[in-house]
Amino acid sequence: MNANALIAVMVILPIASALFLNLLHKKDRTIKILAIITAIVIPIIPLLTPYGSHFFGGYVPLAQNATLAQGLPSLITGTQLFQFHPGIMYVFTSAQQLMVFVLGLITFFAIFTFLNETKRPSGVYAFLMFMGTASVSAILLSDDIFNIFVFFEIAALAQVGIIVASGIKNNYETALKYTLLGNIAGPLLLLGIVILLGVTGNVNVTDMVFTFKQGYVDPNSPVILMSMALIAFGWLYASGLPPFHTIKSAVYSKALPHGAALLQAFSVFTLVAIGIIILRLFSYNPFTNIAIIGISVIAMILGITMAIVQTDYKRILGYLAVGELGYIGIGLGLGTAFGITAGLFQAVNEAIITSFLFIGFGTVLYKTRTSNTRKLGGMMYVNPKVALLVLLAGLAMAGVPPLNAFQSKLMLIQAAIQSGLPELGIIMILLSIVTFMTFMKAFYTIYMRPKPKELEILDNKIPRSTVISMVALLIICVILGLFPQIATNSLQTLAAGLV
Amino acid sequence: MSFYDIILKRIRKIQEKAEEEEPITNVTVSAMLTAELTLIASVLVAVVMVRLIHPVLMIIMIAAVLIIALMVMPIMPRLRREQNDDLNNMMFYVVVALGIIVALFYWGNLNV
Repeated sequence: MNANALIAVMVILPIASALFLNLLHKKDRTIKILAIITAIVIPIIPLLTPYGSHFFGGYVPLAQNATLAQGLPSLITGTQLFQFHPGIMYVFTSAQQLMVFVLGLITFFAIFTFLNETKRPSGVYAFLMFMGTASVSAILLSDDIFNIFVFFEIAALAQVGIIVASGIKNNYETALKYTLLGNIAGPLLLLGIVILLGVTGNVNVTDMVFTFKQGYVDPNSPVILMSMALIAFGWLYASGLPPFHTIKSAVYSKALPHGAALLQAFSVFTLVAIGIIILRLFSYNPFTNIAIIGISVIAMILGITMAIVQTDYKRILGYLAVGELGYIGIGLGLGTAFGITAGLFQAVNEAIITSFLFIGFGTVLYKTRTSNTRKLGGMMYVNPKVALLVLLAGLAMAGVPPLNAFQSKLMLIQAAIQSGLPELGIIMILLSIVTFMTFMKAFYTIYMRPKPKELEILDNKIPRSTVISMVALLIICVILGLFPQIATNSLQTLAAGLV
Repeated sequence: MSFYDIILKRIRKIQEKAEEEEPITNVTVSAMLTAELTLIASVLVAVVMVRLIHPVLMIIMIAAVLIIALMVMPIMPRLRREQNDDLNNMMFYVVVALGIIVALFYWGNLNV
């Protein structure tokens, strides 16, 4: 087998496993075994896969196919047709390796927690989790914008399914609202893609960039500008940036904790993947960066200020997750190699930390069946070790050293100052302090204040797998905090290529 | 009347309108106050970036934001009421945002 075929396996394996799991209704043991094996293999594949490209159907560009290229007329060999990609291409570099690996790792912890917290694991739920992972992996790998759209839609459906399967009160309503809003954003994103296809004659991003750079198409034509706006709008929906921050935080709060951990990872990596595409296609125009920064600042301010006034801790986490997306956006919007590296590093860190927090706070739901902070208290006495782990996760999110987000936020602030925008650095510091305050408010009300008399704490013991997942995530936070170069070295090449 | 009391009064009003029965605690008001100050401070710092367009415009905008903030304060209770899970509200903001994005990308780009 061609080693580069492993690039496709990163998407095909979770899809195949998901489809099979879907058929295994009521076969609990088989579901558990198959789900855990798939969850273990998913993060391993990107580590074994060599960097390169995979051409589906073997449709390589003519320039790379010596057999076909022989004897072709200069009409073809002398034009851009010779370079164009006729089929779907997946690209795998060190940055994709890191991000697909981290996504796989979060999937593993989510599945691991789900299988141990649920008495009768549902094959359909595992199907949805794996389909979502496959879709977001494809979005990260694909160089074909139409292929990205297809997986964007599948990811949205998988997310809706995860909410519906949660069984939490009013989950159907939230799922329906998310679908309805998706019915606005999805077609508009597709329209943007179609316009680009119509103008450039291509759906491959590399080819589109080539077309713009060579001047075959006027990149400032009103049609391209409209396409740019529509793709940016679709990006906002996929990642949960304003105006979709309210529904996105509702989505997280209506999913089970392991589901929410995975959903936020989907949002983070979709934001990064489509954000990179936007930068590749449209960064010739300085307004793109201004727009990304503007939206990111609004996301940070709205997300974090809305988080502090919430009384449901899942909603608090949901809004904080949205606010943290703003940090990633600022990194991308700064447009410098250092800024983009910092933004990508922040994405990796945020995906890990927010999963850690959702799984950690999930133990409260597991023990009390409520997420309303007004009804909670005294949880420190129930399980002090878990409380300590949750506290450390909160400190990581706020950017406290020596944990990972400290490094990425410091890099972001440095990048903002280097770009001549110290104001962004001030806003990021201010909002990090408020993030810390918000977290401490939630932590105090849940863990530290006296237990309300009416609060009933269930006897069920927190599964060891949940604690193991949290400890593992904490170790990753510490490692990336002490040795950030493990991640930044992998991300630098991609960032440099975008400048 | 102190700023704390203004916030408390405003939350009560909004709760009455929304027919919410949750009690107003010190934590609620402190959280609202923090959010209010964070919001205003962040927006003011963000407006300083207008200096890249023109320093005089920045001064005018900061003054305008300050005056508006002082006049409509407290903003957070209103913002919270607007940022709810009502589908009509969400749809409204989505359509408004789409309009703004398209307009900015279109005219913003043409004039860069």
